[in-house]
Amino acid sequence: MTTAAIDIQGIVKRYEHHVAVKSLTLTVPRGAVYGLLGPNGAGKTTTIRMLLNIIAPDQGTIHVLGVPHSDPTLVDRIGYLPEERGLYRKMQVRRVLKFLGELKGLGGKSLDGKIDMWLDRMQLRANGEDWGKAKVDELSRGMQQKVQFIGALLHDPELVILDEPFSGLDPINAQALKDTIVDLKKQGRTVIFSTHIMDNAERMCDSVCIIARGEKVLDGGVAEVREAHGARMVALGLDGAPSATVQTVLANRQLVARADDSNRFLEIELAAGAKAQDLLAALVGAGAQIERFELVRPSLHRIFLEKVGATNVEVGMTGHG
Amino acid sequence: MGKLFAVIRREYLERVRSKWFVIATLFGPVFFGAIMFVPALISSREEASANGTNITIVDATGTGLGERVSSRLAGGVNGGTTAPTVNVVATDAIAPAESLATQQVISGSVKGYLVLDTLTASAAKARYAGSNTTALFDMQRIERAVQREVQMMALEKSGVDAEVATSVLSRSVNVTTERLTKTGRGGSGQINFIFGIAVAFVLYLTIFIYGLNVLRGVLEEKQSRVAEVVIASISSSRLLAGKVIGVGGVGLTQLVLWLAMSVVMYKVRQPILAKFGADTMAFSMPDISLGVGLVVLAFFVLGFMFYAGLFAAAGATVNSEQEAQQAQMPVVLLLVTSITFLQNILTQPESTLSRVLSVLPFSAPIVMPLRMTVAPVPALEVALALLSVSLGAVGSVWLASRIYRVGLLMYGKRPSIREVVKWIGQK
Repeated sequence: MTTAAIDIQGIVKRYEHHVAVKSLTLTVPRGAVYGLLGPNGAGKTTTIRMLLNIIAPDQGTIHVLGVPHSDPTLVDRIGYLPEERGLYRKMQVRRVLKFLGELKGLGGKSLDGKIDMWLDRMQLRANGEDWGKAKVDELSRGMQQKVQFIGALLHDPELVILDEPFSGLDPINAQALKDTIVDLKKQGRTVIFSTHIMDNAERMCDSVCIIARGEKVLDGGVAEVREAHGARMVALGLDGAPSATVQTVLANRQLVARADDSNRFLEIELAAGAKAQDLLAALVGAGAQIERFELVRPSLHRIFLEKVGATNVEVGMTGHG
Repeated sequence: MGKLFAVIRREYLERVRSKWFVIATLFGPVFFGAIMFVPALISSREEASANGTNITIVDATGTGLGERVSSRLAGGVNGGTTAPTVNVVATDAIAPAESLATQQVISGSVKGYLVLDTLTASAAKARYAGSNTTALFDMQRIERAVQREVQMMALEKSGVDAEVATSVLSRSVNVTTERLTKTGRGGSGQINFIFGIAVAFVLYLTIFIYGLNVLRGVLEEKQSRVAEVVIASISSSRLLAGKVIGVGGVGLTQLVLWLAMSVVMYKVRQPILAKFGADTMAFSMPDISLGVGLVVLAFFVLGFMFYAGLFAAAGATVNSEQEAQQAQMPVVLLLVTSITFLQNILTQPESTLSRVLSVLPFSAPIVMPLRMTVAPVPALEVALALLSVSLGAVGSVWLASRIYRVGLLMYGKRPSIREVVKWIGQK
């Protein structure tokens, strides 16, 4: 259990007209909830498909759960929910689940029991109604997504890979998904999901990796990332408008790179190398009446925008509008 | 192996459970039964039409030929129906008589008119015009009646006694055909002929229907996007193999059920035919040995694999029904080729065309069994054909699995031929 859940070393995937993934290296520790963040077309799905050995990288190596990703026994230890979702429409739900279970090497009575358990848990069998007997066609979209989610988890995988799991989910189903991910983590499983909704990533992930244009922009624990990219912003609240001496301090480019002045409230970006402590001392020295002095850690959303660049982000992509 | 089996079972059971399968399986033998019974029914009634006598004869021969033809036509199997009316005219009055008869045909009072003139006796020529010229049996009857009376008159003219002439002309020789094979004799040529057509059509239809079924299956997995989940659990080549075996199994099941039902229907045909008043004596089962039967099944299995591979490859390159229609065209044409030469192969099973088509991988699965049912084929040629189809099937399935692997996750624009060729080489 000491090896990483996923160890990707310098993978490259080229297509005819573009490079989908450029020399990507990343490590996912076991038992972590890991977020793969990036705008559309960043190479998230390509990376996931290479992890699953659906497509082969042109260069580089991938180890999953301690073995090369092409190891044939691996597929039964991974649960996968692709971004493009779908089921056999004309098939009975229970038969679809049975088929998906069999594809993961399950069978017999234990499989039936597991299907029952999951149908109950996802409330597809409740109040005397058994959607397991219905055809996939007859289910609502939300229910179909639940069925797919069951299909990915039926075989108790050690590693769960979810590609954009929150897209198209209503708030109730999104919450159910979050609960399940938390449950999986409690059971010691590793969960990787890709998303462009930073809020979810920030709340749920232990670690994240932001990729854009096929390259890694940054990775690490969520706290570390925010630490490393944060603490450059100071929210300053004054009692009254800044005096001339305070203005001089704010104009000092050794300390302050930029200050957004809203009269009594200022948003200050610290100059490179400057410490918040020095700024505070200088402000106090200048006789400022400070009501609030707070180091603001940027959200993942802010880091994402800053690192990926607004040009790469379409409206609404980050989930913050 | 468990996963391959899971795919096979899904493909097989989902199809066998469908209404479509049940309907096709039940109605198949009705269709084949119709092929068996209808010819017997038609032949038993081929003389029954009364239209052959409801005509006018314009007789300009001046020899009384018209009267004789009229009474011969009236005295046929269904004697007792009214004899054709005879209009004896002079040669120069044929035209007005014809226009009068034409009026009668148009008004519907007669079905047609027969013109007998001086040429009828000398140059053996007569003309018929009417609304029923496509009724082949009636036309044959009229022709035979005119021919017989012209012959009778010629014989009588040269002094042959009328009774002698009648008895001589009534003699007919019936040549029965019997098929010789290496293992001995048996079955009539005609039965093997019909059976050959039936075998070729059943093979063609099942390969066609179930080949398209594979294409539909691939398209469904692509369209519903379920392919990616499946492909993350099982290799594309095994998925394809499972699909081909599963769908092929459905086809084989249907063939075997049809065969069993046909045998049962054959056993009980006598009472059924008797109800229609048809004769069953002339009908016998063709002599097809178990060996030939197994070879035919082998051709079905291999031929199906060959075409299923091509259909699957076509299915993997498309995203919609419309695109599928276009992509399947070349494969369908390849399959149709074998059936378009059906006539040539039946009548000349030993011709170069037949021999070549019966060993080419795309036509052999249909043409070779057809040849084998109508003529003895050297074992070496059968072996060659089996080898050729086997290699073709392996090649087609290999090619398909290469295209399938890449195509299954490709959405959007339909790839060009060049791109598809690239997929084949892609690692």
